[in-house]
Amino acid sequence: MSQAPVDRSASDAVAARRRRIGWGVLLVAAVILPWLLPEQGYTLRVACLILLFAALAQAWNIAAGLSGLISLGHAGFFGAGAYVSTLLLINFGISPWFGMVAALLFGALLAALLSLPTLRLRGHYFALATIAFGEVMRVIGNSWSDVTGGPVGLSVPFSQPSFAVMQFQSLRPYYFLLLVALIITCLVFERIRRGALGLRLRALKNHPDAAASLGVDTTRAKFTVAVISGAITAVIGVLYAQFMFFFDPDTVFSLAGISVRAALITIIGGMGAVAGPLIGAVLIIPIEELTNMLFSSTAAGLSQLVFGAVLIAVVIWQPRGLLSLLTRLGGKR
Amino acid sequence: MEILQALVNGLLIGGVYAVISIGLTLVFGVMSIINFAQAEFLMLGMFIAFFCWQYLGLDPMFGALVAFAVVFAFGMLVQRGLIERVMKAPDVAQIFLTVGLLIVLENAALLAFGSDFRSVQVPYQTSAIRLGELIIGVPYLLAFAVSLVAGILLWAFLRFTWLGQAMRATSQDANAALSLGMDVRRIRQIAFGLGVGMTALGGAVILPYFTASPTIGGQFVVLMFTAVVLGGLGNVLGAVIGGLAVGVIQTMSTLVLPIQLQNLVLFIVFILVLALRPEGLLRQK
Repeated sequence: MSQAPVDRSASDAVAARRRRIGWGVLLVAAVILPWLLPEQGYTLRVACLILLFAALAQAWNIAAGLSGLISLGHAGFFGAGAYVSTLLLINFGISPWFGMVAALLFGALLAALLSLPTLRLRGHYFALATIAFGEVMRVIGNSWSDVTGGPVGLSVPFSQPSFAVMQFQSLRPYYFLLLVALIITCLVFERIRRGALGLRLRALKNHPDAAASLGVDTTRAKFTVAVISGAITAVIGVLYAQFMFFFDPDTVFSLAGISVRAALITIIGGMGAVAGPLIGAVLIIPIEELTNMLFSSTAAGLSQLVFGAVLIAVVIWQPRGLLSLLTRLGGKR
Repeated sequence: MEILQALVNGLLIGGVYAVISIGLTLVFGVMSIINFAQAEFLMLGMFIAFFCWQYLGLDPMFGALVAFAVVFAFGMLVQRGLIERVMKAPDVAQIFLTVGLLIVLENAALLAFGSDFRSVQVPYQTSAIRLGELIIGVPYLLAFAVSLVAGILLWAFLRFTWLGQAMRATSQDANAALSLGMDVRRIRQIAFGLGVGMTALGGAVILPYFTASPTIGGQFVVLMFTAVVLGGLGNVLGAVIGGLAVGVIQTMSTLVLPIQLQNLVLFIVFILVLALRPEGLLRQK
């Protein structure tokens, strides 16, 4: 009997080491990958998109996975970030590196403002309110033409490629930029999950009333993650603008294209786990690109249709995401 | 005069919003899930009525009956095959099932019908009735009248039939209804069919003054949610009042704001109501 706990902690240590090795291998592979692909090629572009959407999904996961705040309005932060940095660049010639800081602050401010009326709402009601937030941002982007350029959208002005203006000839620097963004987002996620805040959030997610009655300041805990999630999402919006060079309100504030996609990627992979968004993005983005490439001329909407069907299938048959399926398969050994 | 005209227009279009929103609130009341795909059933209703007009020469006001019947049956299938499976699942599963349904329906329509805008031609399309200085468009009046009849019929169904009463019982307390021997699963199925059918009917009757397209649902999503939240989720009478209110808010705000900002006012009303009175403006306790 007295043997059991020792064995357990030993096997935990083995599992932890194996996990560390796994992440290390993944990181090395991610660093090597762009050197194996043509530097202007389509495949590297898709790899960049995978990183971008994995980071976006991870940012969503910080709020949704850790505290159960199911937001359907993250496009509001994403688009705001894209507009803030691009407008600073166009009007004042401010480098997107500073634009990222501005977007971070603006995203945090927006999230804090949105939290005032919405944080006490639960489940479906919160989702509804955040949909409205995303749509408000889209309407503003479309109609405040003097500043945003209206429905036509904005182009990031071309300049001599350099690190200072965050513009590059090759796709490789973008790839590493996005990789770093993804890693930072993952680290923030893990940091919160393992910290005291993560414990409080888990308590309030599972038993909101019990947590509150035990003295957990549930509103404050949710507020913190909502603000962090919104701020990071805005920064990823900046990277999107720099990577795409062009965007319009209906794209960056899109409910299906950004808000739902961020959620879908996370859910397919597994909510509340750091690996979830990575698995989801590696699966979803290539499938989407492939169907777009194969059928875009003959059948517009097919990739979206597949996207929706996958979402329904996962929710019904594997509601905890593919990650739980993988661990279950792995656990049978 | 301008204000009175806007008020009348708002009420006429609000009557249609009411019927659209009744469907959404009925689904929520009986099943406690928010159907984010509800507006896609409105789109389906529009297309069914459009094809009835194109191939059978049926006026959209009659096409609306076909739309109701077809979408009612389709809705029962969707509920049976998909939604029933997540009735006990966590919020995330329920939310994203209907979000997935939204994406599937919209893009299936895009694949099947193409992205063209389609509109019908009916003899009364540009007719109007003058009442003193007020001008009332005949298509708006007809759409309002059909919606009104449909709303009254639904009310009578919920009030006087056994099934309707069972539905209200289920929405008040599903477990109690179950323990009294009601087939709650069957009731949920019919309620979902009825809910999406009503919304489809609302989509069909506006066809004479609205063009159909696969992405039309997006224009109605926030609008119908605002109406429903104003009246209190699950409250049928509330949805009627909410629908009328949304119509009036929309037309009134165009008097002072540019047309593209008309929905902005709605969004703000929506967020405010959710924040301040999530149980709706008419709370019944």
